[in-house]
Amino acid sequence: MKISNYISIACFAFFGGMARYSLNVQWSFYGTFWGNIIGCFLLAFFTYFFMEFKDFRQWLTVGIGTGFVGAFTTFSTFNLDILKNIQAGLPLTALIYFLSSIIFGFIFAFLGMRIGKNVGMLLRKED
Amino acid sequence: MEILLAGLGASIGAMIRYAITNYGKKHWEWIGKQFSNLPTPTLLINLTGALILGIIFGLGTNVFFYSLVGTGVLGGYTTFSTMNTELVELYKSRNYHGLILYAVTSYLGGVILVFIGFWIGQLCK
Repeated sequence: MKISNYISIACFAFFGGMARYSLNVQWSFYGTFWGNIIGCFLLAFFTYFFMEFKDFRQWLTVGIGTGFVGAFTTFSTFNLDILKNIQAGLPLTALIYFLSSIIFGFIFAFLGMRIGKNVGMLLRKED
Repeated sequence: MEILLAGLGASIGAMIRYAITNYGKKHWEWIGKQFSNLPTPTLLINLTGALILGIIFGLGTNVFFYSLVGTGVLGGYTTFSTMNTELVELYKSRNYHGLILYAVTSYLGGVILVFIGFWIGQLCK
């Protein structure tokens, strides 16, 4: 157990959680939706970028990935938003939210992986 | 005030997630192997997080508690991005059986558990 990783995750997650809270206050579940989708891109991007471009300290990679982006996205609120929409008599909204999160989450993570990998390889070649 | 509670909670939630993920990678790998390399730590984290958030919402707590524990701890504990990055990894390794299994158990399981949690919360109110 590396204590530096935990401290880094806590610090980065503090900002990730506050960013998600702000999106939710501003745009309700649309904010959570876009936060999750953008987060999918960012996590896949950083994961594959760091994999190619190895010169980063572990505390920094886990801080950004597991800490900031991990806390910026949420699975529990995503499910609760579906419940709230169904209870509010909006099952179609709930279904669209559910399906578009699944589809766009995967597509954006896929794009993040491809772009992260390429950017990492490109930057490695230059030095 | 609420925003700081959400940030503080997210720090705690993310550290718990990291600890469980590390523990799970060492000790639960055999479970994943039985089920097409299912990423069991993230699945467990997301499903328990959905259940607990359902309970909290069903109980109807005050805004400060909800910001700290609901938005903060559970929001930071569960993760949508790690799940999707893992789905892409399963796709990349052509493990389509694992991909479908992971997506279905996460997404359907999450919705079912948030409803079960809500009913438990309502009953305990």
